[in-house]
Amino acid sequence: MEIRTELLCDGVDFISITEDRFLTNRISANIFLPLDKRDVSANAILPFLLRRACKSYPDLITLNRRLDELYGARLFAEVDKLGEAQVLTLTISAIDDRFTISKEKNTAACIDLLCELLFEPAFENGKFRQKDIEQERRQLIELIEGEINDKRTYARNRCLEYMCGNERYGINPLGTKDGVKNLSDDEILEAWRNALASGRIRFALLGKEDDGTAFEIFKEAISKIYRQNVRDCAPEIVGATGDVKEYEDSMPVEQAKLFMGFRAGIAEPDEDTYAMVLTAALFGGTPHSRLFLNVREKLSLCYYCAARYDRRKGVLLVDSGIEAKNRQKVVDEVIVQLECLKKGDFDDSELNAAKLYVANSFRSVFDSQGGLERWYINQIFDRETLSPDEAAARIEGISREKVMKCASQITLDTVYMLKGLN
Amino acid sequence: MKRELVRNEALGESYYSIDHDSGLKIYIYPKEKYSSTYAIFGTKYGSIDTCFRLKGQKEYVKVPEGIAHFLEHKLFEGEKEDAFARYARTGASANAYTSFDRTAYLFSCTERFAESLEILLDFVQSPYFTPQTVQKEQGIIGQEIKMYEDNPDWRVFFNLLGALYKNNPVRIDIAGTVESIAQIDADLLYSCYRTFYNLHNMALCVAGKVDVNEVLEIADKMLKKSEKQEIERCFPEEPSEVNERRVVQKLPVSLPLFHIGIKCDYKEMTLTEVSAMRALLQILAGESSKLYNELLDEGLINSSFSFEFFEGRGHSAVIFGGESMNSDKVEGKIIEAIEGFKKNGIENEDFERAKKSLYGRAVSSLNSVENIANGLLNSHFSNREFFGVFNSIAELPKEDVVRQLHENLDVNRIAISIVEPVENSK
Repeated sequence: MEIRTELLCDGVDFISITEDRFLTNRISANIFLPLDKRDVSANAILPFLLRRACKSYPDLITLNRRLDELYGARLFAEVDKLGEAQVLTLTISAIDDRFTISKEKNTAACIDLLCELLFEPAFENGKFRQKDIEQERRQLIELIEGEINDKRTYARNRCLEYMCGNERYGINPLGTKDGVKNLSDDEILEAWRNALASGRIRFALLGKEDDGTAFEIFKEAISKIYRQNVRDCAPEIVGATGDVKEYEDSMPVEQAKLFMGFRAGIAEPDEDTYAMVLTAALFGGTPHSRLFLNVREKLSLCYYCAARYDRRKGVLLVDSGIEAKNRQKVVDEVIVQLECLKKGDFDDSELNAAKLYVANSFRSVFDSQGGLERWYINQIFDRETLSPDEAAARIEGISREKVMKCASQITLDTVYMLKGLN
Repeated sequence: MKRELVRNEALGESYYSIDHDSGLKIYIYPKEKYSSTYAIFGTKYGSIDTCFRLKGQKEYVKVPEGIAHFLEHKLFEGEKEDAFARYARTGASANAYTSFDRTAYLFSCTERFAESLEILLDFVQSPYFTPQTVQKEQGIIGQEIKMYEDNPDWRVFFNLLGALYKNNPVRIDIAGTVESIAQIDADLLYSCYRTFYNLHNMALCVAGKVDVNEVLEIADKMLKKSEKQEIERCFPEEPSEVNERRVVQKLPVSLPLFHIGIKCDYKEMTLTEVSAMRALLQILAGESSKLYNELLDEGLINSSFSFEFFEGRGHSAVIFGGESMNSDKVEGKIIEAIEGFKKNGIENEDFERAKKSLYGRAVSSLNSVENIANGLLNSHFSNREFFGVFNSIAELPKEDVVRQLHENLDVNRIAISIVEPVENSK
């Protein structure tokens, strides 16, 4: 595997990952912007609008037919969050030229298409077409409203809204229903121009070989953009905040969803965060972790009880699906287990198991094309870029004292429960 | 022991198909450049197998709903320690699942593969159940069932199966109900285990970084030879018409969810028939179809729209799913589109495009060792050859697609399941 990063211009780079184990190639454009209530909704609609049409394929059905011809190429529009950045992504993935039935040049066609979708939308009088805007406006509102359908995701978002209400992290990267409803065509056009002019941008190519075509195409396209100062996406790292806040919502559900939001106080790019990743795994990241063995297996209180640490923000969430009446029992047990980690009340075999598990999950990234691409794209703001192997080695070298120190930095901030009506 | 190398020259891929002396079928798909290995050990036994006997036995045994899934949970338990604790020492990421017609135990790892494979083969062959551990599991699975009761995607799907099928056990929730699992005890678990966890009813599939001889050595060491036995399953008669035309459930959701199903006559299908059906659905409702684009333009669906050919042992149906303010209208448009194709035929251009797209997607699926190992298992239990799918698509005749349209898309056998928002959902 060969990795090469090249700067196209200030704030715009191209990462090329040459790896011949896959049968497909994958190309993406990723734009990072600071999460901001003022333009989050306008930014959020962009990938979906761009996914609809471009100059050569001016409507959705023509574009989708083109994708069929490219051997069922997949074209994804995504909006996500990385730390406190809003990430807008367009990705295309299709089988390598070696495997096309009539030896067509699939990959070059995919690169051209992705580039055109991003830089040459299907405009009418210099603007996105009203028909396209209305279609994507409706769908984005449905997507935002639809978050309530998955109770676990919904409860997580609610917990973060309460816990990080005054931080960018509490902003939903999809925007808000009202925000999307009220977007004007001028705002959307401006958001597109601003994203290209002042977003931190990373293009990525993951494929069998890189003949330099993609780099040249993206370079040519970006050179036509008048680039301005790159907007800063650095997260605000918040430590212990004093009293624990408690919130509840109710809804007609069978099972309550409990979320406990902790501050870990450690996040990229300030500090090497891998020790906290390991601590979270030992705490509740594996089927032999403290939370799994105690809350699920010993006390039989739930089907899942897991800890997840976001190392780009320094927030650690523990969540479980429970009977509402057991809330305090679960909260108490989670705290007891965290105290054990703080005191060093865990044996070396547990620590080794967590290390093996995390190292294994890192090294497995090599075999997933999407995972490998994400691995490198998401390190864009980290203090250093590590390969999965290097990160695994980092995990293996962490001492128990370091884990105890990490655990002692974790403080409970917010307890949130979504419960049934009875 | 019989060992055969199966190749796909065009893609440069191959796998070994092995009949092990123990009675177990083994598939090994080496991917030399890969870093990880994925192994899956499965039995042809799922939630639909609730009534069975061994050949020679007089009476059929009827077991509680959800027992295959319960057994899956319990096999992880051992007399000394559970399987997760053992995997903890190798670093493998382990899991298991139960579907309608199979149960499978799996792990993936980047190191210490041999040890993990030994654990897998050992714990699945070593049942250990006690009244205490059975009771503990009832609490855990009880919460798993409640989790699914709140999951609108799951509910809308199972409500559709209940609408399509009157008696076929595919209509039963895979995990059963809190009441049905309360009837499960250690003896029943042992009885199911002895019937279905016979190696002749199972298969082991390994894909990724793997050495064939290493797997076979471990298999020789760990597998306990099984006597061949024949399982007789008892499925109730299923009428050809749907059970209920329309079912509605209210849940806290934003937009109503729908699943629309067309019941097909069940028969064992060849790969060509399955590929023909997939191509048909792609032409009918794929992202480049007229139907999909019209539904979008009219605001009747969003990008959550999907469709599948839902096919397993004893059942097959075509299912469309999504979210809509007017699900009945979506159903009307689907019926209209089917009738349109029946009347006007299928354009060559649409057919060729669908073929190309399906082919590319099938090739893409070989990127993932997880897809490969699960695909091998699935092919084995369906008596199909894993690589057969590529030729069946590349050489698919259009007439076969047309035949599927006329034989299997009968709009008189359609049912719709809707999950509507409750009033106070926020």
